[in-house]
Amino acid sequence: MKSISLYEEGTSFVHDVDPITKLWYIPFAILIPIILPLFTVSFLLIGLSLALLLAAKVIRKTIPVFGFVFLILITVVLIQGMFKPENETVLFQIGPLTMYKEGLLFALTITLRVINIIGAFMILVLTTKPSDLVEALVRKGMSPRIGYVVVSVFQIIPEMMATMSTITDAQRARGMETEGKLLVRIKAFLPLLGPVVLGSLINTKERAMALEVRGFNSQAPKTFLYEEKTYQFSKILQMGMLLLTVAAVVWRIFL
Amino acid sequence: MIKIANLSFSYNKETPVLTGIKLEFDRRSTAIIGQNGAGKTTFVKLLKGLLKADEGEILIHDHNVNRKTAAQLARTIGLVFQNPNDQIFKRTVLDEVMFGPLNIKMDKQTAKEKAIEALKMVELDGKLEMNPHDLSLSEKKLLCIASVVAMETDIIIFDEPTIAQDHGGKEKIRQIIQALKDKNKLVMTIIHDMDFVAENFERTIVFTEGKVLLDGDTRYVFSQKELLETACVEAPGITKLAERLGFKDTVITVEEFINLKQTCSPPR
Repeated sequence: MKSISLYEEGTSFVHDVDPITKLWYIPFAILIPIILPLFTVSFLLIGLSLALLLAAKVIRKTIPVFGFVFLILITVVLIQGMFKPENETVLFQIGPLTMYKEGLLFALTITLRVINIIGAFMILVLTTKPSDLVEALVRKGMSPRIGYVVVSVFQIIPEMMATMSTITDAQRARGMETEGKLLVRIKAFLPLLGPVVLGSLINTKERAMALEVRGFNSQAPKTFLYEEKTYQFSKILQMGMLLLTVAAVVWRIFL
Repeated sequence: MIKIANLSFSYNKETPVLTGIKLEFDRRSTAIIGQNGAGKTTFVKLLKGLLKADEGEILIHDHNVNRKTAAQLARTIGLVFQNPNDQIFKRTVLDEVMFGPLNIKMDKQTAKEKAIEALKMVELDGKLEMNPHDLSLSEKKLLCIASVVAMETDIIIFDEPTIAQDHGGKEKIRQIIQALKDKNKLVMTIIHDMDFVAENFERTIVFTEGKVLLDGDTRYVFSQKELLETACVEAPGITKLAERLGFKDTVITVEEFINLKQTCSPPR
């Protein structure tokens, strides 16, 4: 069964860092460029995220994500560069199209922030098992029910996709044409939704009963299946990020 | 009837699932056995056109399966899936069984006649208007068999037909298989129930690690104890009992065992 998790198994120090510290890095990487809106700061943080992704040897897996985001960002650059109301200073002209400095600088700010956010999320997503993240959050006080909901999404969606494929095969086996023109595919797809949804509902009911018979709703304190993932410099990293954020706020207000 | 030459398949490039399969099928009823992951289901999906071979070719009645869609092959080859819930999606038992025949362009009246005939065979003709999801698992399985039988294909493949069946259910499936054999159809099955194989199938093919390890008459296959062990397959209980008792011949059914026991005593 195909996994929908983007997690990439690895042995780098980035993989060793506990999920909570990686979670801390996301608001840190997002907030700092907002508090200090300088291109240098954004470039520094993007550089840091890319360095961490390189160190974790997962940079290749970010290419499709960044590729998709760049497609959207190109439209932002074009629209802002040409049509932002504050545009005054002409930078260059290509035929009838004029690019303005103000719009391009604004688009660059957005682009850097988006790349920064994506980079920070990619570090968490590509180097942390979803189950480790959820278990770490449950240890920190998140409801085990919410934890289960999050983890089960990673199981149920691939299961539904596999079921869909089997049901499609079963109907193809009985002569339903599912290959060829778009209309044929749509006609074949719609009747398949019934068994998939019905099957999922039956599975949900059975899953709920299976959880219940194994004491899911028990009020007793729960033990965890896996050992808590710890990293010796977690506290230092977390405090460092907190101090840098406070320092950035102080810098912004007083200097 | 079916000719398979040098068939290879893999879901991803690193792990081949089937390698160099060369087989021919005549009208003998055939069981395909082997441990989980041996490639049995993949093999029948290739026969049915649900997957396309990486290498080699499959000819059914001299037509290359690779050049046809699964839907086009539905007139020739039927496949009953292991889990009935994957197959059932109409609101009444009758509609469910008529779905296949209508897809292969049978007219409505003929489709209905074939559907009722198939439902009679599995003894579900009293539940025509019932919602299939209200049937028991065993009945759902029989319904799925009926929905393929109604298509009147030359070849019918059953994927684990005896799962979820009690003695009565197994007996019904035995009768269905016999009826199909009497109609001169090629009946094939993927199965782990060796007693059922021994009693109902003339030919047995053993798969292991994507290759054919053994192929021949069922009696011959169950006499190859060491090779069966390689494939992690056990001979039927009665075969093992007869062997332990010292019978020289390979016994594959209870009747044979009783006959042999009556005619001669095993050496002590």
